[in-house]
Amino acid sequence: MRYYLRLALKSYARTPGLVALMVSAIALGIATCIVTLTVYHGMSGNPIWWKNNVLYAVTMDSWDSNPNDPFDPEHPRRAPIQLTYRDATYLYQSDIPKRKAIMAMMAAMLSGAPGEAAPIPMFTRATTGGFFSMFDVPFEYGGGWDAAADRGPEPVIVLSHRMNQRLFAGADSVGRTILWNGRRFRIVGVLKNWDPLPRFYDMTGGGFGVWSGPEDAYVPFEWAPTLESMPTNSSCWGPSPNTYEQFLTSNCVWTEMWVELPSAAARDRFQSYMDGYWAAQRKVGRFQRPLDNHLWKVSQWLKLNGAVTNDSRILLRVSFAFLAVCLINTVGILLAKFLKAASITGVRRALGANRGQIFLQHLVEVAAISLTGGALGLAFGAIGLSAVRAIYGGMTGPYGALAHFDPLGVLWALVLAAISTLAAGLYPAWVVGRLPPALYLKSR
Amino acid sequence: MSLNIRPVFSAMVRNPSGAVLVALEIAIAIAVLVNSVGIVAQRIEEIDRPTGIDQSSSFTILFGGLTSGFDAASAIQQDLAYLRGVPGVIDAVATEGIPLSGDGDDEAFYSQSGRQGARADASILQVDEQGLKTLGVTLVAGRNFRADEIQLLSKGHLGEEPAVAIVTQHFARALFPSGDALGKTLYDGQGNPLAIIGITHDFMGPHLSNHAYDSVMLPQIPGGYGFYNCIVRTQPGRARAIMQVAERHLAASNPQRIIFLAHTLSWFKRQQDSQNRAMALFLTAVTALILVVTCLGIFGLTTFNVSTRTKQIGTLRAVGARQRDVVAHFLLENAIVLAMGMLVGCTLALGIGYWLTTRYQVPRLNLAYLGLGVLLLGAIGQLAAWQPARKAAAVPPSVATRTI
Repeated sequence: MRYYLRLALKSYARTPGLVALMVSAIALGIATCIVTLTVYHGMSGNPIWWKNNVLYAVTMDSWDSNPNDPFDPEHPRRAPIQLTYRDATYLYQSDIPKRKAIMAMMAAMLSGAPGEAAPIPMFTRATTGGFFSMFDVPFEYGGGWDAAADRGPEPVIVLSHRMNQRLFAGADSVGRTILWNGRRFRIVGVLKNWDPLPRFYDMTGGGFGVWSGPEDAYVPFEWAPTLESMPTNSSCWGPSPNTYEQFLTSNCVWTEMWVELPSAAARDRFQSYMDGYWAAQRKVGRFQRPLDNHLWKVSQWLKLNGAVTNDSRILLRVSFAFLAVCLINTVGILLAKFLKAASITGVRRALGANRGQIFLQHLVEVAAISLTGGALGLAFGAIGLSAVRAIYGGMTGPYGALAHFDPLGVLWALVLAAISTLAAGLYPAWVVGRLPPALYLKSR
Repeated sequence: MSLNIRPVFSAMVRNPSGAVLVALEIAIAIAVLVNSVGIVAQRIEEIDRPTGIDQSSSFTILFGGLTSGFDAASAIQQDLAYLRGVPGVIDAVATEGIPLSGDGDDEAFYSQSGRQGARADASILQVDEQGLKTLGVTLVAGRNFRADEIQLLSKGHLGEEPAVAIVTQHFARALFPSGDALGKTLYDGQGNPLAIIGITHDFMGPHLSNHAYDSVMLPQIPGGYGFYNCIVRTQPGRARAIMQVAERHLAASNPQRIIFLAHTLSWFKRQQDSQNRAMALFLTAVTALILVVTCLGIFGLTTFNVSTRTKQIGTLRAVGARQRDVVAHFLLENAIVLAMGMLVGCTLALGIGYWLTTRYQVPRLNLAYLGLGVLLLGAIGQLAAWQPARKAAAVPPSVATRTI
C-alpha cells in the first residue's frame, strides 16, 4: 500500500496543475452542498423527532362557511392553524391525552428590572403546565407549574435562559419575584438554552417569526384572559369583537393546542371526543364547514405549514447539479491522466503486475485526491456557513435560523464526500486496469 | 476550410469517453444556467419594485402599554406631540400596521354587501389626517380624511365602524375594474359599508409577497389593544439619528408603556428582501462556478486530445495542412461536443423549467434566456478550447518523422 502511495505521489508530481484542479473542484462542489444541505436541514429538521409519533397538533375547522372568505386563500379547504379560545379551553378539559397544553404568544413588559430604568419588552408564552414535560423542555433551575397554578391562575413565571442571563446574570433566580405587566410574579423555573427550530409548536410565523418566539418567559395560560392580554397572532371572521369578553367568545382563532397520545387507541378516542364536540356545536349553529377535526403529527404539521421554503429546495438541487459537474470533470481528468500514463502501466503489467494490482494502485491515487478534496471541502463549507451566518444571522426569517451549528448536517456532508469521491474514482481506475499491456508496449 | 467533418468525427469516435463526459457537463451547465438566470432576474425585479413610500427617511417605533391602567389615547397624543416637535421631523402619525414590515392586518373587501360581487384582499392601515403626508403618499383622486372623521380606539371600544376609506389605485381597480371607484361603496367581511373618498398612488403595504399594492386606509387612531406604532418622516438622511434620540426620550417619558422595536422603514424592506437577495446571490455564485468548472473540463479535454495526437498532427502538417487548419480541426471537434451537450442541455433546461413552474410556482422559462445561454456557453466553450488548439498548431511537421 505504501508503494502505491509512493507511485501516486510520483504521478501527482508529473501533473501538479491537474491535481490541484481536481482537488479544488471536488472541494468546491462538496462545500456548496454542505452549505445548502445545512440550510435545508435546519429548515426541515424535526426538532422533536423522538416524540413524532405521540405528539399531535389539534385543529378544528371553525372558519366561516362562506366560500368567498377562506382562512387561507391559497388553500381554501384548509382549517385555521389555531383554535378559538372556547374550543381550546373545552378540548383542554379532556382526560384522554397523557399530556396536553394550550398556548398563545403575548407581548408583555417587565418593570423594575435590575439596572433598567424603563420597562423592557418580554415576549411571553401563556401556556399550561403540560408544555414543559410534553416538549421535553430542559430546566436549569426549578421547574414548571402544576394544574392548581393553571386553575388559579397563580402568579408564577418561568424564565428563558437568555432572560435569566440578562436579569440575574445567570444566577439561580428561583423564588425571586419580578413585575410582569405591572403584577408581581414568582419565578419558579429557569430554562436551559432551548430554542427548537422550526418552532413547531407555534407555526403562526412560519416557524421562524419574531412574533412566535423565542420566548423570554412562560406564564399560566389563564393569565391571558385574566389580564385581558391580546395574543400577537389572531385571525377573525364574523362580527368584530368590541370588548375583550366578546373577543373570548368570538370566532377569532388565536390559541394553539398540543396533545400527547401514547397509543393509537388514545388517538382514536381523542379524535371521537373532538368529533362529538363538533357535532354538538354544529347543532347550535357553529362549525358549518365540512368536518375537519385533525390531529397532526409533528412532521405532518411542519410540512402542512411549509417550514421548508421552495427556495431552499431549489438551492439544494442546484448545488447537487454543481457537485455532479465537479465530479464528472474529475472523472474526465483522471481518465485522461491515466490513459496518458498508459505506457508506464503497460510496463508494469509486462513486469508481472496483475489487473487487480493495477486497479488498486490507481484507486489509491484517486482516493488520496478525493480525500484531500473532501477535507478541503469540509473546511470551505464551514467557512461558507459562517459567512451565511454573518450575513443573515441577525435577520429574521429562515436564514437567521442558521445561527446554530448542526452536527447531523456535518455527518451528512461527510457521507456525501465519501460517496461522491469514490464514485468519481472507480470508473477511471477500472478502465486503466483493463488496458491490454501489449498494445501500449508495442506502439510506443 | 480544407477539413471536412468526417476526420474530426472519426477522431472523436475512436476515444469517446472524454467527449461524452464533457458533453454531459455542458448539458448540466446550460440547464442550470438558463433556469438560474430566469429565477435571479425575477428576484431582482421583485427587490426593485417601487415601494411608493419614502422609506429611507422614515422610521417607526412600536409601543405597547400593557398595565391595566394604561391610557393609550393620551399616550399617543403626547408621543405624537413630542415627535412632531423634534427638529428635522416632517410629520408623524400613529398607525396600526407598518408598511414594508410584514406586520399588519389583512382583510377581505367586497364590491357589494353580503360578501357579494368582486372580492379583493387588502392590508389595513389605520391613520389620522396626517397619514398621507407622513408616508409621502399622494392622492390621485378625491380628498384626505378630515379631522372630524378620525375615530379614537380605546380599551373596551375596539371596533367602531368607520364610514370612509382611502384606497390605493391598484386596489380600487381590483374591486371596480371600470375605474370609477371614487365615491363608490365597498364592504368589509361583516357587511359594513365604507365610502371611498380618496384614491392614492400605489404604495406597498405591510405584506410584500401578496397584495403588496392593495391597502385600505381607515380614519382611526389605534391603541385599543394597548399597541400602536408611531411612523415618523424626517428630512432626507436624518431618520436614523432622529430615531435614536426619540427612542431614548420616549423610553423614559412614560413608564406605563414600552418600546418593542424602533427601525427605519428601509430596514424592514431589507429584511423582507433578504430571502430574495440570498437566493439571487447564491444562484449566481453557483452558476458561475458551474460555468468555470465546465470550461476547465473543455480545456482539459482539448489539451488531452492535442497531447495524445501529437504524431497525427505532425503527419497532417507534413501532408500540407496549414496551422489554421489544425486550429480549425480542434475547434470543430469542440463545437461538436458543445452542440451535443447543448442539445441534451436545452431539452433538460426546458424539462426542469416546466417542472419548476408546476411544482414551485417559478415563472415560466423565458425562451430568450435559452437562446442567450446557448450563445454564451458556445462562445466561452470555444474560447476554452482556443489555447490548446493553438498549441496543437505549433506542432512542427517534422514530428511525423520521429517516433517518440
